[in-house]
Amino acid sequence: MSPLLVIVLRTLAGLGLLLLNGVVLIYMLRKVLGHLHLRLGPTRVGPWGIFQTSMDVVKLLTKEDFRPTASDKWLFRIAPLLIFVPSFMAYLAIGFSPTWHFANLDTGVLFVFAVLSFVPIGIMMAGWASNSKWSLIGGMRAAGQQIAYEIPLLLSVLGVAMLAGSLDPKVIVESQAGLWLGFLPKWFIVPQFLGFWLFAISAQAETNQTPFDMSEAESELVTGFANEYSGMRFGFMFLAEFSNMFVAAAVGTTLFFGGWLLPGLEHNALALALGPIIFMVKVYLGIFCMMWVRGTLPRIRIDQMLSFAWKALIPLSLLWVVVFAVILKAVGA
Amino acid sequence: MTDDRLRATPDEPIVAEGRRVPLTSPKGLRRVPRGVDELATEHLIVNMGPQHPSTHGVLHILLELDGEVVMAAEASLGYLHRGIEKLAESRRHHQVGTLLDRADYVSGIHTELAYAMAIERLMEIEVPEKAHWLRTLMGEINRITSHVLFVGTFGMDTGSMPTFLYTMREREALVDILEAVTGSRMMFNYVRPGGVTGDLPAGIIAKLETFLADVDMYLDEYDVLLTDNEIFGPRTKGVGVIDGTTAVAFGMTGAPLRATGVAWDIRKAHPYAAYAELDFDVPLGSQGDCFDRFVVKTAEIRESLKMIRQLIAGVPEGPHMAKVPKVLRPPAGEVYTAVESPRGELGIHLVSDGSDLPYRMRLRSPAYYNLAVIDEALAGGLIADAVVTLGSLDIILGEIDR
Amino acid sequence: MIWGLGFFRAMGVTMRNMFRPAITVQYPDERLVIPERARWALVHKFDESGRPKCTACMICERECPDDIIHLTVSGDAASGKHIDEYRYELGACMMCGLCVAACPFDAIEMSHEYELATPDPHALVRILLHDVDAASGKRAKADAPATQAALAADAAPDAARGESDHA
Repeated sequence: MSPLLVIVLRTLAGLGLLLLNGVVLIYMLRKVLGHLHLRLGPTRVGPWGIFQTSMDVVKLLTKEDFRPTASDKWLFRIAPLLIFVPSFMAYLAIGFSPTWHFANLDTGVLFVFAVLSFVPIGIMMAGWASNSKWSLIGGMRAAGQQIAYEIPLLLSVLGVAMLAGSLDPKVIVESQAGLWLGFLPKWFIVPQFLGFWLFAISAQAETNQTPFDMSEAESELVTGFANEYSGMRFGFMFLAEFSNMFVAAAVGTTLFFGGWLLPGLEHNALALALGPIIFMVKVYLGIFCMMWVRGTLPRIRIDQMLSFAWKALIPLSLLWVVVFAVILKAVGA
Repeated sequence: MTDDRLRATPDEPIVAEGRRVPLTSPKGLRRVPRGVDELATEHLIVNMGPQHPSTHGVLHILLELDGEVVMAAEASLGYLHRGIEKLAESRRHHQVGTLLDRADYVSGIHTELAYAMAIERLMEIEVPEKAHWLRTLMGEINRITSHVLFVGTFGMDTGSMPTFLYTMREREALVDILEAVTGSRMMFNYVRPGGVTGDLPAGIIAKLETFLADVDMYLDEYDVLLTDNEIFGPRTKGVGVIDGTTAVAFGMTGAPLRATGVAWDIRKAHPYAAYAELDFDVPLGSQGDCFDRFVVKTAEIRESLKMIRQLIAGVPEGPHMAKVPKVLRPPAGEVYTAVESPRGELGIHLVSDGSDLPYRMRLRSPAYYNLAVIDEALAGGLIADAVVTLGSLDIILGEIDR
Repeated sequence: MIWGLGFFRAMGVTMRNMFRPAITVQYPDERLVIPERARWALVHKFDESGRPKCTACMICERECPDDIIHLTVSGDAASGKHIDEYRYELGACMMCGLCVAACPFDAIEMSHEYELATPDPHALVRILLHDVDAASGKRAKADAPATQAALAADAAPDAARGESDHA
């Protein structure tokens, strides 16, 4: 096969996974929230309602492509793509097993965060182009929020990078093989416990989930930046939100929970075959926890949220980087 | 509110989207900032409502925003106006209750009760003890259905999804009981001049006791989800502060008034129905902020449960309806009766000319007076605070617009 | 209390609720039991021979706050009334039950028929009785002794209102 064809096929596979994930995650969200809230979630379309989201996709696709007259024609059209494409690109750097990955990047983790930082531009663009005041406020909120929370997110990864000595997902996962004291999996969550919490909080904010769903904030801004969007344009934004959730959980699994590794199941043929499954199970457990938080907590106010990021999270993560570097140096010596 | 930029001369109308709105606003919402603004940024005038998830109906609030900060607010009412007070003038006295159910559609028993009490006072009807007992019991059940709905929607306003869906469990259990007793889930038409339409059907006390067995545990869960939560506290404490003097000046009643520390509860001040015989406390707040309003309401749920427990301990015997003429013709005169509805002092001012139709019926709806304060309470906060403050006042638009 | 513990307690509450049964009713598959007193669409009562108990006394028409009951009656009380049409505007009915409470002959009741949504607006106006002879007040008296007190009350409007007011 020509290398070009391989790249195209891998990209298509990534896109397929993203779409499938989106459909599954939306279904999962409805079911998880439903059961958390004494309801059942979708039950009508297909057994246990499993075809509900597929039918919703059909509905979104067949909806009229509507654009408000006063909106900015081109920005309005580009914005959903600017939200969707980065979250798709982030998929490409995720490693599912030693051999399964869409693109083998030496700085995969950095790449994920780099492309995801494009998302607020798209959200702001959507908010501005809609020419609606609520949308505009939503877009502005998104920009402020994502800039604030990107810093602790990146700083929380630094500790792991110090431990593994690399930003390559494969190297990071492989360095988590083995056991500590004979029973504890050698996952980085153990030495990086604080780093994990910083990561979890920032990731929740980066993916726009309650309690940090500022730019949507249904009870305040109706649906924020996505207010004027309908049909598949809205579908893209919705999909991007869920694929960001997947990316955040996948990065978290890679960094802190040993990726495709399970204790006792390392470096053999079975581990190689089961790797992607183990990885997906861990990722979905992570996503479940994100949904659980989403279904439980109230929303933070925007000013409290920003001051929490700038006054608590960022100093704390900076301090943690310094402290951890000192500890690592001392223990290593 | 002491901000100089908030003052405007009355001759400056609201300017929305560059064209003049035919509204003369005493507060004068405007896009051009008042006074000297170094950055000279325009203010944003947004319509919150009539279609907005957090206005609890069809309330329309014009907000003047400086970024996210609300500089001034102005409520505009009337989207749900049905002319209930005027319609009542063409309804015979026993038919008016059907209209009043639809005024405050969350706590119909109280509105019916206020009207029935007005007729009873005019016609000097002696209501049997059993009817008093039933009115009190149904009123307190109705109060809990209203209060748990408040807890749920207030949680929703702060962005917390679970409480809204959990409180439906309590609400459903009680609404089922109300339906079994009155025949309808919300539009009861149960309290009539002279008494009530029916005694408790068999098995209701048992149903109530099953409800009472679990409800405290559920209420504790709401405390964990909201009251003790680390996000909910900062969202509501110190937000939308209304001091006691302002609250009294605006005629506020109910939980928003009691949250400021003013002890005023019609059930204690002018006991009606069977409240004089009941032992209950009036929960008071101290700060007058959204958190206190919420805490007062949740405490009132527990007080109502206490009252229900006392009520079902001693069921009186006797008729549930006094001897009342078939056609009610109160003697000419006027009367004002008030009850403590879940939202505050709900009063009926009834003028009778001796015929079988009310000459004039006026509803003093508590939520209307509680809402009046928002122009003051919203200014200076953020949009998120505006939503929370509005939610904490527990308004029902059906009652405000009538 | 330690800051941050509240989050975990709240998460515990939602997790506990995850294992409680759903409170929603899966409507077309499950139905709630409608309590005895529930008020839904108005229907007529019929005697054993299938004749309506309605005497065309017009009290329900007069009593309705929304004026949605329309009776067209021919004949007079002496020769026996004939109901041409008993029209009931279901779409405008608010199910207050005042007509049933006022009926002195126990001839109408609020049924438990609650699935009233329809795509056909004409179905919201129901002709409950069409071209039937009205029952005579005497027969109703003989058939239903319980309503005699109510009848007496009706004869003297200002007299006592009995328990049977709300059937």
